[in-house]
Amino acid sequence: MTDVPWVVIVWNDPVNLMSYVTYVFQTYFGYSEAKARTLMLEVHEQGRSVVSTGSREQAEKDTMAMHSYGLWATFQTADA
Amino acid sequence: MARAFRKTRRGIAGEFEQGELRLLRRLFADVVQLLEPEKRENEDPLAALVGLDQEATRPEDSAVIRLLPDAVRNDDDGALEFRRLTERSLREEKVSALRAAALLLEHPQVLLNPDQAQVLARALNDVRLVLADRLEIKTDEDAARLHGISDLEDAEDLESYLALVYNFVTWVQEGLMQALLASVEVQE
Repeated sequence: MTDVPWVVIVWNDPVNLMSYVTYVFQTYFGYSEAKARTLMLEVHEQGRSVVSTGSREQAEKDTMAMHSYGLWATFQTADA
Repeated sequence: MARAFRKTRRGIAGEFEQGELRLLRRLFADVVQLLEPEKRENEDPLAALVGLDQEATRPEDSAVIRLLPDAVRNDDDGALEFRRLTERSLREEKVSALRAAALLLEHPQVLLNPDQAQVLARALNDVRLVLADRLEIKTDEDAARLHGISDLEDAEDLESYLALVYNFVTWVQEGLMQALLASVEVQE
């Protein structure tokens, strides 16, 4: 067992609308509009953003959810 | 010409012409065809039921890869393992959203609750991902290049026709998202 948490990263792409990405972060993660917008802008401007942190199981579940919304997401350990 | 989705007191309302509805339903059906899992011989029905697919391989079509991306970077084995555990469920989830979205667009006057609007938004997004792959939209500049194509008179060949369709679907989704975000704010 390791204490290093797992993270879910959403990657930028030129197709997903900013409004849609914000909506997904708000709806799926339950983030406030401000936090959802900040993460969306991070994806858009920096090419990627860590959108959730937790157990491996949670990271896998979140990654799959992002894929079901059509967002491009991967999971990895936080120190990778 | 369609009227963009907007938030009304009764729900999220939009208006389309029959030809536009036919086009959107056709696009949903096209993406369903890309995603429907193949039935294999000697398949373990229990594994299929819980969404496992031990023989799944990385799809060759780049549009399908965009719909069902690798979940692990720089680790082909890890990505494939995850794909075998999850890809079938993901395909089925997307197919059912696309089918449900087609049913929402049967009549020119469309009125949606937030859950239905989300189903439609997911389906429109998947259509845009596939069209963008076919149009080779890889950067923001690529996307900007196609913005100008908004009139049937601009469509001279297959690429510009696809771009016209892409821009139409984008316009529909953007209106839907603005209406949906406004509805989410009201709920909070």
